[in-house]
Amino acid sequence: MATVTESKARFDELRLSGKVFLSNKTAVVGLAIFLVFIGDAFLVQVAPGVLGVQYPDSVVPPQFTQTNPECVGTAPEAPSFNHLFGTIQYGLSGIGCLDLLQLVMKAIRIDVAISFFIVLVGAAIGTVVGVVSGYFGRWLDEAMMRVTDVFFSVPFLILALAVGFVIGRTLVNMALALIIIWWPLYARYGRSLTLSTKEATFIESARAAGSGRLKIIFRHIMPNVLPPVLVQISLDVGTVILIFSTLAFIGFLPSNALVPELGAIASIGLDFVALGDWWPVIIPGAVITMFSLAVNLMGDGLRDVIDPRRRS
Amino acid sequence: MKLWVYVIRRLVLLLPTIIGLTFLVFALEHLGGNTLFLAQYINPHLTGTAREKLVEELTAKFHLNDPVYIQYFYWLAAVFQGDLGTSTTLGQPVATGFVWFMPNTIMLTLVASVLTWIISIPIGVYSAARRDSILDQGVRVATFTLYSMPVFLIGFALFIALGTAWHALPDQGNIDPVLLPTIPDAWFDHTNAVSYPTHILPLDAFLHGDWTIAWNSFLHVILPAVALTLALLAGIIRILRASMLEVLEQDYVRLARAKGVPERMVQNFHAKKNALLPTVTSYGYLVSGLFGGAVVIEDIFAFKGIGWWTTDAFLNGDVGVVMGSTLVFGLILVVTTLILDILYAFLDPRIRYE
Amino acid sequence: MSDALEIRDLHVRFHTRRGLYRALNGVNLRLARGEVLGIAGESGCGKTTMGLGVMSLLPRNASYPQGQVVFDNKDLVNLPREYSERVGDRFSPKQNERILRRVSKAMAPIRGRRISMVFQEPMTSLNPVLPIGFQVGESIYVHDPAQLARRVLARSKATPELTRELVSLLAATHGDETSVRKFAAEHDLAGIEEQALFVWSRGDIHISRKEKAIRALSGQPMNFVERWIIDTVVRARSIPWYLSRIPILSRIVRRVLMREGNRKARELLTSLGIHHAERVVRMFPHELSGGMRQRVVIAIALANNPEIVIMDEPTSAVDVTVQAQILELVKRIRTSVSASFIVISHDLAVLAEVCDRIAIMYAGRIVEVAPTDEILHKPLHPYTQMLISAIPTLEGKPVEGIQGDVPDMRAVPSGCAFHPRCPFAFEKCREVIPTDLPHGSDQLVACWLYEGK
Repeated sequence: MATVTESKARFDELRLSGKVFLSNKTAVVGLAIFLVFIGDAFLVQVAPGVLGVQYPDSVVPPQFTQTNPECVGTAPEAPSFNHLFGTIQYGLSGIGCLDLLQLVMKAIRIDVAISFFIVLVGAAIGTVVGVVSGYFGRWLDEAMMRVTDVFFSVPFLILALAVGFVIGRTLVNMALALIIIWWPLYARYGRSLTLSTKEATFIESARAAGSGRLKIIFRHIMPNVLPPVLVQISLDVGTVILIFSTLAFIGFLPSNALVPELGAIASIGLDFVALGDWWPVIIPGAVITMFSLAVNLMGDGLRDVIDPRRRS
Repeated sequence: MKLWVYVIRRLVLLLPTIIGLTFLVFALEHLGGNTLFLAQYINPHLTGTAREKLVEELTAKFHLNDPVYIQYFYWLAAVFQGDLGTSTTLGQPVATGFVWFMPNTIMLTLVASVLTWIISIPIGVYSAARRDSILDQGVRVATFTLYSMPVFLIGFALFIALGTAWHALPDQGNIDPVLLPTIPDAWFDHTNAVSYPTHILPLDAFLHGDWTIAWNSFLHVILPAVALTLALLAGIIRILRASMLEVLEQDYVRLARAKGVPERMVQNFHAKKNALLPTVTSYGYLVSGLFGGAVVIEDIFAFKGIGWWTTDAFLNGDVGVVMGSTLVFGLILVVTTLILDILYAFLDPRIRYE
Repeated sequence: MSDALEIRDLHVRFHTRRGLYRALNGVNLRLARGEVLGIAGESGCGKTTMGLGVMSLLPRNASYPQGQVVFDNKDLVNLPREYSERVGDRFSPKQNERILRRVSKAMAPIRGRRISMVFQEPMTSLNPVLPIGFQVGESIYVHDPAQLARRVLARSKATPELTRELVSLLAATHGDETSVRKFAAEHDLAGIEEQALFVWSRGDIHISRKEKAIRALSGQPMNFVERWIIDTVVRARSIPWYLSRIPILSRIVRRVLMREGNRKARELLTSLGIHHAERVVRMFPHELSGGMRQRVVIAIALANNPEIVIMDEPTSAVDVTVQAQILELVKRIRTSVSASFIVISHDLAVLAEVCDRIAIMYAGRIVEVAPTDEILHKPLHPYTQMLISAIPTLEGKPVEGIQGDVPDMRAVPSGCAFHPRCPFAFEKCREVIPTDLPHGSDQLVACWLYEGK
């Protein structure tokens, strides 16, 4: 009997959560845009041909010359019916013509995957460190706080540049550099959530009942720490894409690496700005904005769901 | 607790952070190996036996054959003496480069910060007070969009719209190239584009009484400053609006209303001050973004500050500059955070008495 | 004499995502002039909602589908009720907020001046970043800035001879109010009388100190800007627009007047038994104890000699000894002040101490109103009887709890809301909402048990 009412109560809570999220129209729009991005990334991964994308891992086809261009023309072309996002020339001397829409579709896969990778790994490391130091406290906690202080004491973009400079300028290293600046955020967040959970009475009673430390951490603390961390992850995916595309834009990835990444594409487009061509920079930037905006709108909706005050 | 006790306590807490910061930079330099470490002290044009001899001297000076913790202390001693190595791109000691380019960056970030606060406080307060009005919805859409834009897009949208397309404002460098030769040699170093005495060109020109150059170089500041402001604005308005909404539901605001205080005064006096407090704290985190943004903006507008210099050095493998600016930016951020904390203690009487 | 306040059939609903909460379901209540009316009931029965509803301080998701709050022949909840009637079920908090803003504007001259309120939580109801003196003085600054200006002006005009005369007058008449007023009017010193009378009525200092303090009420120095501001405010009897709207000038005006507001705050706090008030006004809320804060909040409520003071659980958040002091204070001010009081509390023992009449509330309705003695010794409504037997006593008599739970305000039981918990409930109770039945000369009870008796 008790379990029936309990599961009904849980179901009601879930239905209310759904209602709260769906009542936020902008969050639903965000979710829709987000799904379009995910769908694109998925298709490029499993069946690039469906979207007409060839060579999903590189900006240009192998042995790319003027003889096998993706499109015709010797100068960048503004967006038109044939080329929705316009075209760019690879190399200022006009080695060949590239369709910007195709480039963007390739790049979305890499951008989405990398931003999820960075945030998930950073969150995993940071949350574990935060929960452990928050739970055990004392000198461990103190040491951890000082370490995160040091990471916060350098502007994140500069730290990423310095790390990348030392370990080498590749796509994977860029992700590593960003994980290094990302985990302390989650360590702090996980710690503060753990501390507030630790005060709660049910932890006291679990301890009094003789539960082991690990059991308390996994059975009692984690379930309370994870939902807000997940919401934070959903918000951070939108932030991290801004930072690493900016890094790529200022030249973190060497131009001969030819990685289809939105910031790197924008920096290829930089060469044409002086000629008055806006689309090679603005369109990749706008695509990044769309993704980040969608994620932020969605995360805002999710935050409403877990905030008891905003629920009612 | 008196305010000065609080300040001293914060200063003491600062020490481990600064020591940790030097650890971090030293560790980064060492990750690259001895060659990279030494590269910042050796002129790349030096070859042959002269180079080998210098390498030997430096190895002895930094005790590179001793254990790492001993190396750290010799490196730290050098840093304390202001020896951050030599910049290969500038052909000058790294420390000199900071003296030259730092003032520009400080001016840019200060102007952007002031603009940000001037604009965001009234917008954030009003938007929260008139929740769900047309204006509020407009503000929310605008801040959400702006918040989701990468810094380079904000910079470039301005660059293309106001610079390239309409030629409304200058968009490259610190001064018009046409005016460059007219600057007297006595207060402008043409090879390195550094002005004297403050190293901030509009200010220096003003001090020397040259209005044309002062005005022109001032115009060059506008676009980067506005771009940086836009990059910072959205975050502050969002925090301010949220904290204002929270404050407006507090008991003390209800009491103020129950006292019959007019709504305008409730907002500007009772709510605004309290709403600003959390905004000041989170501004500490935003400062990190401010400096990061300055790097990108200076790069886009070729504005001669440390950000521009650092990206330039990064692309050209100038290790001394990259490591030096990590250290210097770190110190600036630490000091800024300290100042903000003290400001917070001024604003919030509760901190002082805890 | 008419009533100070009348609440007629007041309904209040809260629109939330979890459903529609019917907080008030037809409250009828009269507050006579000069009386102290207590409101008792379990938590969640709508006591606080009623208090806030009278002040129109309810949040934006509250609607007033029915009822009136009549004060000084005006209906205070007119606008939001009309809005609720107009939209019916399509109530939108956003639009209601716009209405509430208009209500706030209309209520501003009433709130704090004619009706004021003391809130439950003294720990959170003072602004943490403003000094106490400002928060107390502000209520006078907002409603009667001319009073502050008059006080300054009187001190600047008073000569040492005049104040010496005032001292001897006070000594001769033993602090007679009318003669001091007459003296002030004769010498064109309006504003000095209350300052002198305050000093004279202080019980905590010696007579010689009092005389010295009154003699010090002379020769207030003023620079020409201050003089101009003070003169203008006294002549206009309020702050003219050009002094309150021009950015920097308005700041100076506020500083000049609030300096006097601080002085007035000191007097108010002293009269409420706060020692070292001159230090307290410079402090911030977190430096004060809960009891002190509650006194400050009471001082704010009494600052403008209001006609009605609503006290929402004034003693619940403070500990027992402070509770006793606050109750003493409330008893003292009710004799010295001409206001009517509504005291809201879940604790009948507290109400019994200070109230003339007590109303018992259940599920958003008043179920019984009677003079304090009647309620305590001859409770009629079954709920009242249970409440009284649930008061713990020192004799060690077993306390009887009330069976059942507080009703869910989203689905209030039909008929008499108390019927599911009532041992005497019968058929009619489940179906028809009981009306207020008079019993005796001054008792009202909403219970079918007493129909026809």
